[in-house]
Amino acid sequence: MADTSNSTTTSIPTDEALGLDGLDAGREDLALDLPGGAPATLTAPLSGASVPDGGSPVGSAPAQHGLNAHSHGAGVPATNRAERRTSFDVADFPVPSGREEDWRFTPIERARDLFEPAGASVSGLRVEVSTADGVTHRRGSSDASAGKGFVPGDRAAAVAWADAASAGAVDVVDIAAEADLAEPVLVRVASDAPRSAGHLVVRAGAYSRATVVLDHSGSGHVGSGVEAVVGEGAHLVVVSVHQWEDDAVHLAQHDLLVGRDATVKHVVVTLGGSLVRVGSTVRYAGPGGDATLLGVYFSDAGQHLEHRSFVDHEAANCRSNVTYKGALQGETARAVWVGDVLIRASALGTDTYELNRNLVLTDGARADSVPNLEIETGEIVGAGHASATGRFDDEQLFYLQSRGIPEDQARRMVVRAFFADVLQQIGVRSITDQLMAAIEAELELADGSGDEGDLPVVADGVEAELAGARL
Amino acid sequence: MSTDTSPQTPAELNDIEARNPELVGLGTYQYGWADPDAAGETARRGLSEDVVRDISARKSEPEWMLRMRLKALKMFGRKPMPDWGSDLSEIDFENIKYFVKSTEKQATSWDELPADIKNTYDRLGIPEAEKQRLVAGVAAQYESEVVYHQINEELERQGVIFLDTDSGLREHPELFQEYFGSVIPPGDNKFAALNTAVWSGGSFIYVPPGVHVEIPLQAYFRINTENMGQFERTLIIADEGSYVHYVEGCTAPIYKSDSLHSAVVEIVVKKNARVRYTTIQNWSNNVYNLVTKRATAAEGATMEWIDGNIGSKVTMKYPAIFLMGEHAKGETLSIAFAGEGQHQDAGAKMVHAAPHTSSSIISKSVARGGGRSSYRGLVQVLEGAGHSASTVRCDALLVDSISRSDTYPYVDVREDDVSMGHEATVSKVSEDQLFYLMSRGMAEDEAMAMIVRGFIEPIARELPMEYALELNRLIELQMEGAVG
Repeated sequence: MADTSNSTTTSIPTDEALGLDGLDAGREDLALDLPGGAPATLTAPLSGASVPDGGSPVGSAPAQHGLNAHSHGAGVPATNRAERRTSFDVADFPVPSGREEDWRFTPIERARDLFEPAGASVSGLRVEVSTADGVTHRRGSSDASAGKGFVPGDRAAAVAWADAASAGAVDVVDIAAEADLAEPVLVRVASDAPRSAGHLVVRAGAYSRATVVLDHSGSGHVGSGVEAVVGEGAHLVVVSVHQWEDDAVHLAQHDLLVGRDATVKHVVVTLGGSLVRVGSTVRYAGPGGDATLLGVYFSDAGQHLEHRSFVDHEAANCRSNVTYKGALQGETARAVWVGDVLIRASALGTDTYELNRNLVLTDGARADSVPNLEIETGEIVGAGHASATGRFDDEQLFYLQSRGIPEDQARRMVVRAFFADVLQQIGVRSITDQLMAAIEAELELADGSGDEGDLPVVADGVEAELAGARL
Repeated sequence: MSTDTSPQTPAELNDIEARNPELVGLGTYQYGWADPDAAGETARRGLSEDVVRDISARKSEPEWMLRMRLKALKMFGRKPMPDWGSDLSEIDFENIKYFVKSTEKQATSWDELPADIKNTYDRLGIPEAEKQRLVAGVAAQYESEVVYHQINEELERQGVIFLDTDSGLREHPELFQEYFGSVIPPGDNKFAALNTAVWSGGSFIYVPPGVHVEIPLQAYFRINTENMGQFERTLIIADEGSYVHYVEGCTAPIYKSDSLHSAVVEIVVKKNARVRYTTIQNWSNNVYNLVTKRATAAEGATMEWIDGNIGSKVTMKYPAIFLMGEHAKGETLSIAFAGEGQHQDAGAKMVHAAPHTSSSIISKSVARGGGRSSYRGLVQVLEGAGHSASTVRCDALLVDSISRSDTYPYVDVREDDVSMGHEATVSKVSEDQLFYLMSRGMAEDEAMAMIVRGFIEPIARELPMEYALELNRLIELQMEGAVG
């Protein structure tokens, strides 16, 4: 649409030539063409913050929230991130057009079908749970405990919720109070149907300690929800590994409800799939909660990997720490990270930090990184975020080569060092090993060379040195 | 400023004044007086095609400008209000006076001005600055039109044009046809459309190739009428290899109902030229300040925005730089101070449209007394703008527990060979710092003000001296009553 518009005014190749929609001179006719005219035509208002989103006739506003769902009169902006609509009813969410703040990065044409409930034609995700003492698993079309710590935040999640119920794919994994599990609970999640859905509830009883690993594989279009309800003083690690086939599309929402003085670590590992989008939300049920969100992703040619997180600090004296790191290689490899943190007026003593780093290994890849921070009280321990996207560092490479390390090995070392700290934080040995191997495999895929054998002894020291280096 | 409502006793006030003689008389919003308002009383309220035609006719504008105004008016009607940022629902466009003429002709010497206007600017310190030759040229806009204008003879000889925008259009129509609306088209956003429809006054600057204007050009904007809308329009063209620094300040009286300030500033920085644009915005607490500012920087050019937002009820302002040529450079330094009842939604926008361009944004914001300061920015790297680099640094300081600070740093990168960095911190004034300063004999509010001044110092030192002093004074004022 935008391509057909004419710029009426002169000179600088601002609007159409650049695809910038904040500058929509001459587009007033187009604006009229839009159904209903009014609020849908969100032209970017003041120059500075208009967020051009290539090709759409109207700029999308840079708002975090869009219109307040309960707005008093038109055009009253929502005042914080928590006011964004959540609902179990699919009808409460319009079908995304791709212009919404929430969807503007996502190639929604790949996921169109996941915006409409599939009814009887949807398959349940196959779920196998390795049970142990203190762990129980049940499955059905509904469960009283589902939805206690979860509410869909977008249309895809509401559709997945409805589909999981129709397919009888609501799984509940209970970890008994005070259980201390030596081994991770392995949850194998597989899809082999064209369209499948599932909802998984993990309930960690008070003072329990457990690690739950979700391993996603297969293909097809998948909508899923995960909710972790972490009891008082419990310690839960949830690892979600996405190793889909190349054609898979997966839209997921993970909600964590962190109990009083509980500790939760949520790890998202995304390697395979055509489009994988995981939104994680953290809420605190009481004071003293501690949430660590970690992410590792590797985007190859044609892949779109999107991670969004929202930490809602409402209780006092809670901590959150978000670290997502990703590498990209190949034409049209895409990665998106959006990290929202809200510190409400009641959340005194909050300590939060968010970090996103992207390492672009080859030409043609693109990473978007958007950290947002809203703070409604000054009585906090600290808050901050940092994000960076950078190229492979030629200086590091040169340094390593000057120490006699061949280029391809040196490249791998730099990538390993890049991921080293986040891998260390995951703390689940089997996952870390698997991940390291997967990253190695990705890199071999890239340079086309086989195994180079063991790295020279010098590698360890240099690797440690590089781990501390700025990207 | 919020000091008119902040809880403080006369004793406390006297104490502060005793220690800081330069602050005497600053106990309330210093610029809050109102002059007799004969012009404003007769001005029309509301917006219609007639109003626009009337403005254009009074200025005897060329036909193309009238057409552009009318077109922009239509766009204004069609465009929705922003659904993000601040709550603008209380702006009553029908109650606003879109054009208020305060004097019959423009004065070239200070004494020609009507006494009340002259008084106002004397109190603001404008002729003082001119006398001291701290500024090369001065323009003063009162209500809708520029009432006083002076430019250094030396500059005139070099071919520098510094006029109010109305005169600029009359005297240099060819430059206006080429550049007016070229950086910010009429339909850019609702408020740019409004400005294009009813604009009046502002500054027009042209700096010929190679000319360096060594001392700043200065403009001062003043709203006097209640419910007034001030829509100044500024156009700056820095030709190849030139340099100019433009400084503007703004004030308004305190009325019961709100006024609207919606300016458009367009800057064209040509090859290897450099423009620095400094604003210290100190509108009274009943002004909606919704401003569109944008510059284009050609090959090797440098554009710098220094943007201080201290006053107003609501400010939504994101100065933008479009880096259009190779090795163009953009820099924005932004300070926002949100006191009670204020929302400063400020930031910056950088668009990298050519390779090897670089940009940096440094934002410092302070919120107190329940005020809200937001950094909202966009860094965009378009396809073809490889080897570009950008850093964004946002620091926020909260001095109490009821204030709010937000950071929304948008990044949109469509090219792979770039380096992007963003960092933000939010901190509270530390007990340790306060304790240390107080142990050295400082009162708590003094110590607090000193910490805040230290926090914004990296930006304050970029300001011309008298503005840095002014800023420090304003901070001091804002911080009064912040303690206890």
